[in-house]
Amino acid sequence: MEALFYVFSFIAIFSALMVVTMRNPLTSALYLVLCFFALAGFYVILDMQFLAAMQILVYAGAIMVLVVLVIMLLNISRIKNIGSDLHQKIIGGLISLILFAEVVLYIINGAQKKPTGIFTRALIKKIGNTQIIGEFLFTEYMLPFEIASILLFVAIIGAYLFAKKKY
Amino acid sequence: MMFWLIADIIKILIVFAGLLGAAAYLTLLERKIAARIQNRMGPMEAGFHGLLQPIADGIKLFFKEDIIPAGANKFLFLLAPIIVVIPALTTFAVIPFGAPVKIMGHTVPLQITDVNIGILFILALTSLGVYGVVLGGWASNSKYSLLGGIRTAAQMISYEVALVLSIVGIIMIAGDLSLAKIVSEQSHMWFIVYQPVGFIIYLIASTAEMNRVPFDLGEAEGELVAGFHTEYSSMEFAFYFIGEYAQMVVNSAIIVTLFLGGWQGPFLPSVLWFLIKVFFVILIYLWLRWTYPRLRYDELMDLGWKFLLPLALANIIVTGFIMILLNR
Repeated sequence: MEALFYVFSFIAIFSALMVVTMRNPLTSALYLVLCFFALAGFYVILDMQFLAAMQILVYAGAIMVLVVLVIMLLNISRIKNIGSDLHQKIIGGLISLILFAEVVLYIINGAQKKPTGIFTRALIKKIGNTQIIGEFLFTEYMLPFEIASILLFVAIIGAYLFAKKKY
Repeated sequence: MMFWLIADIIKILIVFAGLLGAAAYLTLLERKIAARIQNRMGPMEAGFHGLLQPIADGIKLFFKEDIIPAGANKFLFLLAPIIVVIPALTTFAVIPFGAPVKIMGHTVPLQITDVNIGILFILALTSLGVYGVVLGGWASNSKYSLLGGIRTAAQMISYEVALVLSIVGIIMIAGDLSLAKIVSEQSHMWFIVYQPVGFIIYLIASTAEMNRVPFDLGEAEGELVAGFHTEYSSMEFAFYFIGEYAQMVVNSAIIVTLFLGGWQGPFLPSVLWFLIKVFFVILIYLWLRWTYPRLRYDELMDLGWKFLLPLALANIIVTGFIMILLNR
């Protein structure tokens, strides 16, 4: 298991680096798909098969297909002479410094925590994590779940209106 | 430990060889059926009634010149046909193709692995097949290929929604995502009896997902030469075909597992039942292809979004109501 963790981490970090360094946007998008696969691998190691399947199904199988489609339709095959703006460099450097500091802080102050609640690993294996997630979504987290679905519904109607508008 | 390892490897080899062989011989079956429907004989020269035709085709494709168009993205161009084949072959890993058998005191399930999210695993993998088509279309650096790729991507995304929703009814009745459990739930009654609408939606949406006529907008010969695989030759071209036919076998196997009781059946051995059922579903797919003309693009989108999607949603709601009424 530990070896698998390092394999997946290596793939995730490598592909994430490739996403930002590749000149060709389509190649970047494909490396992002690879990154999603590595994340799905982490979920499987954590016994969260449902999340892993959803990661592939929703992110790799649907959202990234749309991204690839847009890149193809816009026909931006290669970005030439990327403008090196001093402002952007400063802002980017600052943000990455802050993020790095945050990660370091978390690693220093973090401690291992025992899982709480009634759901132990054995129980999750017995019931199946899909069933547990479903039960929680429709009992304890009913309100956030419904709000998210309303949000999506509004987004669909908005997209429909934009597409329907005639100029 | 050693026993299970060997058993797994043997099962994987059987499934792998079976799928590839089936994909090769489906080309012959398709040509024979097309010939029957159009009152012809089909391939007759190679072997008895053309039985060696797939092998002859394979050898021919293997020795053909491998052409990579100028200005094509070489890496993606070669990667795309592989991406088509891998999900099609991997999906079969979770499909149970027979009743558990006893070998040397161990009960070996005839299924490579029983994942507890079986259906989701299948859906997740089949949703990746679109990359092969889209990348192939884009990397060829040809307008026909690009148009074919874009069309196919839009079509696959549209039909995937209906495809996923059509299965939800089955999951509700079975109460489990594992395919082995779904098969054992059907020991009294096949799920097609409870979910006839779901079955029809899955059949239509999976045909669209596989890019077969009447939904082969991506490779419409009359308009786009051959669509996304216009520029492909030799074995890369063959890979697209292997992918398509392997996908057909896998989709038929999924339909059999979800709707037609899996390997269950009286008298005959379970594996034989499974194969017979898969064969009949494949015949339905072939029959569809040689019966219906291709849809126009807007008709295709209308069918997907305005007919199949609402129908699938209504199917879920009705199933839920009936399950509450019957107190299940």
